[in-house]
Amino acid sequence: MNGFESFHPAVLFIYYILVVCFSMVSRHPVVILASLAGGFLFFGALNGLRKTLKELLFSFCLFVPMAVTNPIFVHNGETILFFMNDNPVTLEAMIYGGAASLMIVCVLLWCRCYSAILTTDKFLYLFGKVIPKLGLILSMAFRFIPLFKHQIRKINQSQKTMGLYATDSVPDRIRGGIRVFDSLVSWSMENSIDTADAMKARGYGLHGRTNFSLFRFKRRDGILLGIMGGFTVLILSCFAVGGFDFFYYPYVAQLQLNPEDIARYLIIFVFYLIPGIIEARGKLTGKYLRSKI
Amino acid sequence: MKKNIIMIGVVILLVAILVSGTKFQSVDEYYLTHMEDIKEDSETVTISIRCDTVLDNWDKLDPQLRDEKYVPSDGVILPETTYVLRPGDTAFDILNRVCRYNKIHMEYQGIENNAYGSAYIKGINYLYEFSCGKLSGWMFTVNGKYPGKGCSTYEMKNHDKIEWIYTCDLGRDVGNEYNGADMQKEKDKS
Repeated sequence: MNGFESFHPAVLFIYYILVVCFSMVSRHPVVILASLAGGFLFFGALNGLRKTLKELLFSFCLFVPMAVTNPIFVHNGETILFFMNDNPVTLEAMIYGGAASLMIVCVLLWCRCYSAILTTDKFLYLFGKVIPKLGLILSMAFRFIPLFKHQIRKINQSQKTMGLYATDSVPDRIRGGIRVFDSLVSWSMENSIDTADAMKARGYGLHGRTNFSLFRFKRRDGILLGIMGGFTVLILSCFAVGGFDFFYYPYVAQLQLNPEDIARYLIIFVFYLIPGIIEARGKLTGKYLRSKI
Repeated sequence: MKKNIIMIGVVILLVAILVSGTKFQSVDEYYLTHMEDIKEDSETVTISIRCDTVLDNWDKLDPQLRDEKYVPSDGVILPETTYVLRPGDTAFDILNRVCRYNKIHMEYQGIENNAYGSAYIKGINYLYEFSCGKLSGWMFTVNGKYPGKGCSTYEMKNHDKIEWIYTCDLGRDVGNEYNGADMQKEKDKS
């Protein structure tokens, strides 16, 4: 495995923090587009084409209502399209709504990639020593929803074999659902206590205890960290100079296309595309080597 | 199948209710407001909209608003003009009507969304609250005094002179002592 996940957890974590921060701070359309492109490339390299298309559809369903909401509540902007209940609906508000909701979609996408790459064991490795209690709680919280889903399926299936859901009547189904939920809640409480107890029994978080871990900081991690650091400095300086400033009200700002601006856009694009390229390269070389066998 | 048809019907009904509850107007339709001519016996008010404080705080103003279009060089968005007062008109009604008549952009927060039970003027002529520093926004005076009331709860009388003024310092720079004194008291307490 030579994908992005094979890098040291600290490198991955820093990269995610940077990506999400840059995406959330800037409203510049190029930054948002770069984040979107990078996110989808990475997601596609991780999960394959079909899942990516599904994700694209899901993102679109998320995007539309959020984009439409803004012009209903914000009436700033010069280009008035029509009036709704005596309030102007403007083009600028629509564009801003689109950009903002695209930003949210990007951050959600990156978070999905994050949970696939930075698994619980890596998170515990990073924070188990520094903040043992919070680290454990956080890792359990991240795991909570998938675990919940998994357990619901299990309970549902076992209930089905016991004759639940045999009838079509609504009260019966509701009663069955409540029973499943009831057992799920009590199970999840028990499970969390079990986990905590088990960790305690193994001496988790005790002073002076060492752990074995598979993660070692290799040279390639250092190289990637160096590249990331360089890019971060460049991007932060762009932010400081105001290269990623953009405004939408009362009129949408003109996209700057001077050579230096294009250089800035290239920098942010490359920064966002790093994980996607590494992951895709890993997958492709893997395929190539397998084809030779 | 039957369930689906019912569901679709419910959705269509909801959309229909929503659409019938909203009023759609084209831009021309909206600005086509009627203003009565001033006759001898009609009651009148005088209104003006000004933003000269922005000129003194030019560096605080949002860069995209630094334009003659948004902040006129003399600070006058609407010079003093006299209009007919309809019975029961509040300060807000007059501003709303005048802005429509003169095609000046204006955004407000409706009474239903406001904690103080009055409409709140968020921005006039693309100049919004907080556009010129953290303490900026629109205020109004009637006959040179600050009423200390919401604009849609203040009823106008004949020959009133109403001024909408943009402040960059919570009203202190446009002569509203009420806020200033209040702030001072808070400071003394702490």
